[in-house]
Amino acid sequence: MPLVNFTTREITCKIVYYGPGRSGKTTNLQYIYSQVPDDRKGQMVSLATQTDRTLFFDFLPLELGSISGFTTKFQLYTVPGQVYYNATRKLVLQGADGVVFVADSQVRQLDEDLESLQNLHQNILEHGVDIRTLPMVLQWNKQDLPRDLILAPEELDDALNFRGLPTFSADALHGAGVFETLKAISAEVLRKLSQGASGRQG
Amino acid sequence: MTTTVVEQWTAEPLSRYVAQASARIVVVMTPAGQVLAQHGFMRAVDLMGVAALGAAIMASSGALADLVGERTFGALYHAGQRHGVHLAGCRTPRGPLVVLTVFGKETSIGLVEFFFGEFAGALSAAAPEAPVRGPILAENFEAELGASLATLFGR
Repeated sequence: MPLVNFTTREITCKIVYYGPGRSGKTTNLQYIYSQVPDDRKGQMVSLATQTDRTLFFDFLPLELGSISGFTTKFQLYTVPGQVYYNATRKLVLQGADGVVFVADSQVRQLDEDLESLQNLHQNILEHGVDIRTLPMVLQWNKQDLPRDLILAPEELDDALNFRGLPTFSADALHGAGVFETLKAISAEVLRKLSQGASGRQG
Repeated sequence: MTTTVVEQWTAEPLSRYVAQASARIVVVMTPAGQVLAQHGFMRAVDLMGVAALGAAIMASSGALADLVGERTFGALYHAGQRHGVHLAGCRTPRGPLVVLTVFGKETSIGLVEFFFGEFAGALSAAAPEAPVRGPILAENFEAELGASLATLFGR
């Protein structure tokens, strides 16, 4: 759950970008990093292989500003998407306050999207969390690719969005939909914090 | 040097540990990398990066211990040219915590380990059970959130 300091009036939330390999999770963080002024962000940490594939995680700390008088900070993480890195994916998911599932919109990637979504459900369950209680949004990335290569948002919705979660079309490379996705998951996380009698006292 | 605490019960044990062990940086965090107290950082966003990496090292070494049939590897120690890093976990009524200590030539790993044992005990003795709080954000928080994010992205 988000860490709340009632003395200094600060909230810290952990948000994890999840999804299959090469779906654009790191690209989301890189775009955010490129847009945010230096005084509101920390160094972006990327634990990657020599070929720039995420090995453990990417991490971007953000200072959002004041919400209801609380200085609000976000810790944005990505997980490695490749199937064989499940152990590290599970470690990064620990303590997540919200999840952005980044799906690759390409037709040929639909099976990987499904497998990754099922893997997310499994890993959340193994952390003892009911996924229905975890704030989550879906991002249909790479919607800028030619139409014959990708599935339309409605088709992706039918295939992947069993729970009627908020969805966002995106082209993370150029930033389209990145801001809207972050805004939506932030609102979901803070709404849950506000509604649920939760948050650790400082 | 700056010391900040998110949970007040950590303040006294932390300041004693920093002084006794002559530590340059100390970060007390949850296993998920959420910082409860720190000494040595000026900017929260810099601190969060170090906490994320410290928590990740502890988590991955714990998973490795599982794989090779160890219960835990206990403390981890990395020696550098100018700094040493000591990373260890402790159990408290608040839940398991991870402590990252960075120290220089003015002290030694032996002293840090010795005083860490006392620090872990003091944290455990001072920690409360995690309390539950009511709603904390105003009903219109989403408008403020939207405005903050728009400012952040220069929109």
